[in-house]
Amino acid sequence: MPSYRRWREGLGLAVTLLGLATTAAVAQPRIASINLCTDQLLMTLADPDQILGLSPYARDVARSWDATRAAQFPLLSGGAEDVLVLKPDIVVAGRFTKRATRQLLKDKGQRVIEFDVPRSLDDVRQQIMRMGALVQHPERATAEIGRLDAAIERARGVAARKSFSVLALSRRGWVSGSDSLSAALLSAVGLRSAADGLGLRTGGFASLEAIVSLKPDYLLVSDSGDYAEDEGRAFLLHPALERFYPASKRIMLPERLLACGGPMLTEALDRLATELERIDR
Amino acid sequence: MVTTIAARRRTLTTTALVAVVIVLALASLGTGPVRMSPLTVLDALAGGGSDVQQIIVREIRLPRAILALAIGAILGLSGAALQGLLRNPLASPSLFGAPQSAAFGAVLIIALGLADIRSYALPAAAIAMAFLSVFVLLAVAGRSAGLLLLILAGLAISSLAGAATALALNLSPNPFAALEISFWLLGSLDDRSFRHVMLALPFIIAGAIVLMSQRAAFRALSLGEETAQSLGVHVGRLRLLVIAGVALGVGGAVAVAGTIGFIGLIAPHLMRPLIGHDPARLLIPSALTGAALLLAADIAVRIIPSTTDIKVGVLTSLIGVPFFLYLILRERRALSGGVA
Repeated sequence: MPSYRRWREGLGLAVTLLGLATTAAVAQPRIASINLCTDQLLMTLADPDQILGLSPYARDVARSWDATRAAQFPLLSGGAEDVLVLKPDIVVAGRFTKRATRQLLKDKGQRVIEFDVPRSLDDVRQQIMRMGALVQHPERATAEIGRLDAAIERARGVAARKSFSVLALSRRGWVSGSDSLSAALLSAVGLRSAADGLGLRTGGFASLEAIVSLKPDYLLVSDSGDYAEDEGRAFLLHPALERFYPASKRIMLPERLLACGGPMLTEALDRLATELERIDR
Repeated sequence: MVTTIAARRRTLTTTALVAVVIVLALASLGTGPVRMSPLTVLDALAGGGSDVQQIIVREIRLPRAILALAIGAILGLSGAALQGLLRNPLASPSLFGAPQSAAFGAVLIIALGLADIRSYALPAAAIAMAFLSVFVLLAVAGRSAGLLLLILAGLAISSLAGAATALALNLSPNPFAALEISFWLLGSLDDRSFRHVMLALPFIIAGAIVLMSQRAAFRALSLGEETAQSLGVHVGRLRLLVIAGVALGVGGAVAVAGTIGFIGLIAPHLMRPLIGHDPARLLIPSALTGAALLLAADIAVRIIPSTTDIKVGVLTSLIGVPFFLYLILRERRALSGGVA
């Protein structure tokens, strides 16, 4: 029996060494993502075989920008268990969600890299670079940033002739602050965030009355449908709001383009430019 | 002579209550994050002022005031009716788990994304669940159940409804469900529109009509079940009608406002010293008191300074639970008698 055990241990060691050897040869870390936004960065910048798994909402077409591509990768539970089983070289996560999961993974010796919520286009550039460095494809990151800068340039070209005030409004009256990514996108096309008028620099909830009396020129919303699955969504369909802001006064930018900072912003900016053309006339 | 004095006091009380409700309803129209003078509010209500003022008063504050009035009234009325039916001062929809069960019905629709939140599916589900809960409660507790039995059965049903609600929340595909539903369960009238009024009001009115139509039976019942039967009251049918009336009213209310508790318990108690113990005469003043209470609570949540909005259901529970404890204190002898 002891000899058998020794034999098995020897085999285990050999396999480990072999594993190390291949990792060293390819030198590309294998990564698991437990956050929707890091999912998008990862899918854009990493080689497919570097991706061990994505977060639970990665295939949700409403929220995930690259939902179709996500179909080819395994979905994780978002918890710690399956990540620990996968033993990735790096776990990428959001800075504010799943605190307990991140802590547990760190305690178990996993390398967890956290990505903050970007507040400006500069933050976005930094995050793209950072992920590019992590997956060891910095050249792709540079190309991605080039695409983003080109989109910003295009957006400047069609900027609104007047600095209309726009309130970025989400469910339940959540207003993205003037110091946020949506404000940065708005200013990239020559629009002005109206959130300052409500005293919301970093974002917060606004009452229907406050919005109606502030009367920004346009609303920036993520959904143009007329279906309210809950009271939070019904807020945006309140008759008082619809009276002042019918579809022609609502700039529509789907959640999957605005929820994260990353490669989708190129599309978001182009979309914003198109929307601008629709409302500016 | 005594009766005429009592009658005069009743008329006086009812008139005063109507006046209070009207004043509170107007105050509700004048309260909100945007400051407006009472004259501006009245002007906007009548169709004057700027378009923004008109929209704020007529489409944001008016539906809210109407809902507070109607929901408060039906809760007060339901409480008085249940107390009359069971001849029991601790009876009320919230202690019986009716709003919690109605909430489960509505949550099921929201959590599973079965229908638009502004559709009639919501009150329908809420009413069905409210009916089921009161029906089961009265079936379990029996015909002439003591206080303890009713409260224990009520506690069991609210716990079950709470657990079922939590489960529905876990099974929901909507990632915002947890937040939405927990907000919703606290009970709120924030930013409701006339669509919500149209959703709730028909059921609230129907429930009120059913309950009011039984007022003579409540009076006969207060003389004892046998006497009532000899006076031609069909007690089984009466129970079913009261359950249906309470379910319609509470279900309709919960479907648009979430769970707002304890109004039904407090309102009849506030009126008893003024109106007397006749359950038939207690109905309308209890409804008016309920309306006044909820209007006042809904004004208070908008006035109390806070970083995020306080939910009106939280306020009614904060006031209602100590009141309930006081009632238990007063009924202690009857309760401990029930144990022995």
